[in-house]
Amino acid sequence: MEYKIKNIVLGIISICLFALITVIAAEYSGSKAKSTDDCLSCHEDKDLVMDSDGSKKSLFVNPELYKKSAHSIAECTDCHLNYKAEEIPHSADKKVENCRTCHEDSKGLEKSVHVKSQCIDCHSAHDTKKVSELKQEGNANCMSCHKKKEIAKFSSTIHGKKGVKCNDCHGEGHNVKNISRNQVTDMCGKCHNDSKMNFKGSIHHTVFKSGGKNTPVCTDCHGVHTTISSKHSIQSEACLNCHLDEKMFPGTETGSAKFVEQYKTSIHASIKKGDMESAGCTDCHGDHMIDSPDDPTSSTKRARLIETCGKCHADVVAKFKKSKHGVELMKNNEKAPTCSDCHGEHSIKSALLSDGASKLVMADKCLDCHKDGKIPHKNFKGEEELITGYKNSVHYQALVDGNETAPTCSDCHGAHEMELAENPDSKISKKNIATTCGQSECHGKQFTNFEGSIHEKGVTAGNPDAPTCNNCHGNHGIVSKDLENKLQKSRDLIQLCTNCHGSVEMIERNELPTKVSETYKESFHGLANRGGLKEAANCESCHGYHNVRPSSDSLSTIHKNNLPQTCGNCHPGATEILITSKIHLTDLKEDSPWVFWITRFYVILIFGLIGFMLLHNIQDYRKKKKSKTQADNEK
Amino acid sequence: MKSDNDKYIRMTLNERVQHFLLLSSFIILVITGFWLKYPEAWWVRWITVLIGENAFNARSLIHRIAAVAMVVTSVYHIIYLAASPRGRKLFMDFLPKRSDLSEFGNSMKYLFGNSAEKPRFGRFSYIEKMEYWAVVWGTVIMGATGFILWFKDYFFKYISNTGMEIATAIHFYEAILASLAILVWHFYFVFLNPDVYPVNKAWVKGYLTRHQMEHEHPQWLEEIENKESVDGISENREPNIVSENTKPDKKEELTELKTKTDKNKKNELHVGEVKSDVKNVTDEKRITEINENEADKKKEDNV
Repeated sequence: MEYKIKNIVLGIISICLFALITVIAAEYSGSKAKSTDDCLSCHEDKDLVMDSDGSKKSLFVNPELYKKSAHSIAECTDCHLNYKAEEIPHSADKKVENCRTCHEDSKGLEKSVHVKSQCIDCHSAHDTKKVSELKQEGNANCMSCHKKKEIAKFSSTIHGKKGVKCNDCHGEGHNVKNISRNQVTDMCGKCHNDSKMNFKGSIHHTVFKSGGKNTPVCTDCHGVHTTISSKHSIQSEACLNCHLDEKMFPGTETGSAKFVEQYKTSIHASIKKGDMESAGCTDCHGDHMIDSPDDPTSSTKRARLIETCGKCHADVVAKFKKSKHGVELMKNNEKAPTCSDCHGEHSIKSALLSDGASKLVMADKCLDCHKDGKIPHKNFKGEEELITGYKNSVHYQALVDGNETAPTCSDCHGAHEMELAENPDSKISKKNIATTCGQSECHGKQFTNFEGSIHEKGVTAGNPDAPTCNNCHGNHGIVSKDLENKLQKSRDLIQLCTNCHGSVEMIERNELPTKVSETYKESFHGLANRGGLKEAANCESCHGYHNVRPSSDSLSTIHKNNLPQTCGNCHPGATEILITSKIHLTDLKEDSPWVFWITRFYVILIFGLIGFMLLHNIQDYRKKKKSKTQADNEK
Repeated sequence: MKSDNDKYIRMTLNERVQHFLLLSSFIILVITGFWLKYPEAWWVRWITVLIGENAFNARSLIHRIAAVAMVVTSVYHIIYLAASPRGRKLFMDFLPKRSDLSEFGNSMKYLFGNSAEKPRFGRFSYIEKMEYWAVVWGTVIMGATGFILWFKDYFFKYISNTGMEIATAIHFYEAILASLAILVWHFYFVFLNPDVYPVNKAWVKGYLTRHQMEHEHPQWLEEIENKESVDGISENREPNIVSENTKPDKKEELTELKTKTDKNKKNELHVGEVKSDVKNVTDEKRITEINENEADKKKEDNV
């Protein structure tokens, strides 16, 4: 019985299920096939068009794409509400609300910038995509509407190339938003955290936070969609855009537009050497971390400039750091110069030392600070020499007259080395100055003459008494040898030699010949010079200027063999010179006994004879006076 | 006949011109010479104030011009001594004689010793002979050394630098000797000497007064007077003084002499014709003397 009941129940259920499935299947398949296929029977025709406001509009629906799409389960009429088959064209609604019948949740779309957009603008109408597919499709979908040039270039920017998606910045799904200036920094900072942190410490950000309208955020310099990172494009398009604006930066002071404009003519703006790029704003001022000029840690602060400039000019800065200037600067001596004090700030010009104009500028620059300075050792006249004496020198005058090879400060002291003569390795130390002055293009000829001279040998041997260039010519105030007053020049020269060769200490210390100055002054040459004959021979007439050598040296102008030529310079007739005794008769009795005895003879003769004459006449006078008074008395 | 105002010819115009050339060249040589040796001396500064800063540049040229003038005068003097009768007499009178020695001895005794007897000098005393021969000696020495120094470039190869030094030394010391001798010896007798003070004008006017003759050259005066007593008026006596009143009108004499000298001047171009030159000079001297006498007379009239 039980079995029978079970079978009966199962049978009834089976029949009912069968009947239900049959009904449902019959109901369902019958109605669907009827409408969608009906629609496609017409709309799968690629050539189906209709007139819309004068233009042909395609009414083609690709059935394959439709069947693959997320909406393949939906009937045409599910979306095309209020469809009227009888009317051609069929009137149908095509609104967001149509989607809403199924997709009730808008997911916040109302709040996004796309609030006025149609769903199909992003999701498409018949080949509707799933979210996962949309994500795969990426930026192209957005750009089908956002066709602005700037945005179109996005894919070629660094962001585009590295696969940054629109929604990485603008938000996911339905929450697409515009990004305000306030949000930009944080937005970019999501990826560029270091730059963000640096930027937040910069003057740009500080002013921005305090309400500065014109201060830049990331996009002001880097651009919005056409992101740029090249410093030169940033410089020209970003930095200079604002900083050359005289309304924003008025005046002529540091920081003004005019001040920044000087950069344009500077060497940094123009020159390109090999692979080295010219220096732009950010190279000195930093990129994101641009400090206030008042900030002591600013890269353009005086003391820090050597580091900043040293990024590119490392070799120069290394030299500078060793110089007195550098040492004092690093000791925070406010008077010590830093790079910009000599080279300028924005207006940095090429400092080519082959250029006479920049040499003059340099001299003026150096003397601006060293205007009261004195040279630590006295000159050949025993006078204190001023550093500014350079301006009276033949060197300075030559520069003014357009001789570009004439030296300025750096030619002797070095530009960054700034060496003093006290430093034995400097270019102007006693040991090295002759080589410095005697560079072939400067005084090479004189140097060749000086080489091998007794003075040069002394200098090389380290004798502090031996003279080199500056001991005779002076230091800064080197005057022209073409003095108008030839006599004075001749006398100065004699005095110059006498300074050493007439000094008892010098003579004793260096075993120099004695009495050379006195004997010269008593000689015919010396007397004529003292009298005022400018042609009279002085020391150099016989001994030479630079090539001063002892008479034992066969290259000496006063060597026996060379004397005819030396004397012949002034005495053209004196082709054969007979020298039988010394020229400077230091010891008359020994050097020229004849002269000694003749002198002795005459002195005795003069004293004897004239003495007798005096006595004779005194007596004669007395007698005559006496006899005269006697005669008068007799009268 | 003998008067204190009687004038005795000491130097003819010719001799005075020689003397003038000698003294002017000598002074110039002394100044320009010591100017070189003592270029910073106080008096050198006066020269530069007077002439100019560059005066020194002309120094050696002036020195050499004066030297040439002196040498030329000396050469002329030798010719004069040799060629004219008066010159020959002059030379003979200047020659040192044995009697000069005793004269000098007597003078020493008188000046420094006990002798009260003043030596009686003739035409030229030992003083003047010393003077004369010192000039001769000095001119030769200075001329020779100066010549070497002038043409040093030529002489250098023969006498070497030592020779040049010697020449320089001699030139210098001889200059000192000569200058001091002139200053102490000659200037005393011409200027300070009480017998002639303030100046013996013989080197300008050419004559000595009888008074001066008596004091300076008594022996000579005696000789002249002895000769006059035998021969009449000697050539050493001013003729116009002797017989002032018997002389023809001076104006006439003056014109006569002037024409004579003018003629002589035209003929005197030949160096050899010393005689005519001497005559000429004597005539010229005569003219100046007449003029001077006129002037003197006028002065006396004014007084």
